[in-house]
Amino acid sequence: MIGSHPQDRSGRSALRPVLAGVLALLVQTIAIAGSPAFRAPFTPGRDDEVLQLVPSTKDPAVAAFIDLRSRFATAKNDLALALQLADAYVDYGRQVGDAHYAGYAEAVIAPWLAAASPPVQVLVTQATILQYRHQFGDARVLLARALKVDSREAQAWMTLATLDMVQGDYPAAGKDCVQVSATAGFGWGLACSANLRSYTGNARQSLLLLQQAGLGGGHLPSAQQAWLQGLMAESALRLGDWPLAEKYYRAALALAPQDNFLLVNFADFLLDRGRPAEVLPLLATHAQSDTAFLRIVLAESALHAKQTQLDTWTMAARFEALRQRGSDFFGREQARFALELQHDPASALDLARRNWQVQREPWDTRLLLEAALAADQPKAAVEALEFIQKNKLEDPVLEPLVVELRVRLHAPAVAAALPGKNH
Amino acid sequence: MRPTSRFSRFTKSALLTAAALLASTWANSNLARAHSASDAYLDLTVEDAGTEGKVLLRAEWDVALRDLDFVLKLDDDGDGRLTWAEVRHHQVDIERYAYAFLHFDGGPGNVCTIQPRQQLVDDHADGAYAALFFAVSCTRMPTHLKLDYRLFFSIDPSHRGILIVHHGADITTALLSPQNAKVDLALGL
Repeated sequence: MIGSHPQDRSGRSALRPVLAGVLALLVQTIAIAGSPAFRAPFTPGRDDEVLQLVPSTKDPAVAAFIDLRSRFATAKNDLALALQLADAYVDYGRQVGDAHYAGYAEAVIAPWLAAASPPVQVLVTQATILQYRHQFGDARVLLARALKVDSREAQAWMTLATLDMVQGDYPAAGKDCVQVSATAGFGWGLACSANLRSYTGNARQSLLLLQQAGLGGGHLPSAQQAWLQGLMAESALRLGDWPLAEKYYRAALALAPQDNFLLVNFADFLLDRGRPAEVLPLLATHAQSDTAFLRIVLAESALHAKQTQLDTWTMAARFEALRQRGSDFFGREQARFALELQHDPASALDLARRNWQVQREPWDTRLLLEAALAADQPKAAVEALEFIQKNKLEDPVLEPLVVELRVRLHAPAVAAALPGKNH
Repeated sequence: MRPTSRFSRFTKSALLTAAALLASTWANSNLARAHSASDAYLDLTVEDAGTEGKVLLRAEWDVALRDLDFVLKLDDDGDGRLTWAEVRHHQVDIERYAYAFLHFDGGPGNVCTIQPRQQLVDDHADGAYAALFFAVSCTRMPTHLKLDYRLFFSIDPSHRGILIVHHGADITTALLSPQNAKVDLALGL
């Protein structure tokens, strides 16, 4: 149906206004590309035709949760096992960029969550799942409940610190980091504060603290070492030290080559550095992840590859499928898609503004600034400019955007005379 | 410099647990970027009014192969590449599983049944789906037909069924979720 060959559905498409935009784009794409992206329901011709990539049971992470799952199937009342399985699902889903696993984790802990007084760890795990889905408000409610029961629940403080950092409430995050230090230990408090400093104009300090914290040592599992290397890469980005950022990204990916989050961040780095050709091999086997797929299409577009239009449609269809299911937590990706691939600054600005009300990481702020410039609506960026100034956010990519917006806001006549005003 | 002395009060396993917790929290927050949750598409077409026992609905139900693999382990050799031979081998299992979670109720004493017709493969933007074609018929014509949809809800409450009903020139849609699993189809025949 959605995503089927349009010619099989053409009689219906006009009747489904929700899909009209996507289908119009598809029809246009087909006309240009000459071959349909999708076919009508079919019977494959060959036995060995690969229809779908699925998690391989030969992957140790997959084998691990399958084992936990079968053990849990015979011990449905075992809370410890349930939490272990839920965590394994969440971790795997994050690693491969697949939201299904958050749902699987939710189902595992659901019976405990339904109790009048759910166990603290269940509240925290559910909060992590909600946070993963960007249901930040609901996640905060559960964390508050958990901390009311046990104010020394380290994981709850860590999750809260993360929420505050993602949403740009840095003073609150600073207080959370103190609690992280008190409940999880000095090392984690240090990592928490170091991460925070990268958002508040102290990226160099952040980098030094992360390097010196000792957490990246050989005694940690590779996934956690990779995570620390990834944080260091981000701090290096804030400093504009591109070779150093690349070094940390590569070190992180050497430890966790399949990690969706790292792959996508490194792809963004390569796109920013004008190296789109390197993105395609990097993400070749990750097209199933929507976030990775967006970077593939961005790279194709930068390279003027012939599949750009077709893949742009596929990306639009994926967003449409998300909209149909009522998901609205993909604002950052959607804003970027509208801005860079659909060349629709007005929609991009609308999406970027709504997204920025929910999350305020540097990329969210950047998209708002870029969209405001592209739509020639500098006033739409005023709040974000104040946010940058107040928090002393340093970022060499944001800097020229800030300067241009300030000029356009305060001296429109000068701005009009500047070259390159039409971003 | 490594403040290892600071960690000496941790046992190794406690530290690793903390590390795993922290890392998953931080990385998760650093965005959900993994958007593709589970959807299925149920497309119903109401047939013309007719005599008793007649087919009321014709339907196509597209269910993602990766979701079916999670519950039925379709990938027999576990290599991560789900082939047509593997899917075909499990077609009976797929039907038995899916149809156990979909029911139609024509009211008291009016038995409605699902008659599977064929199973094909359909490509969607996020992957390949099993396309289950079926008909629904009841003992007599009901004025209302209740649909009860429970696919995957017990293992993934974030699954959504996207229902599209074609009735003459009218098209209605509904989002089926654990909170909205039952839909009343006014047939108006």
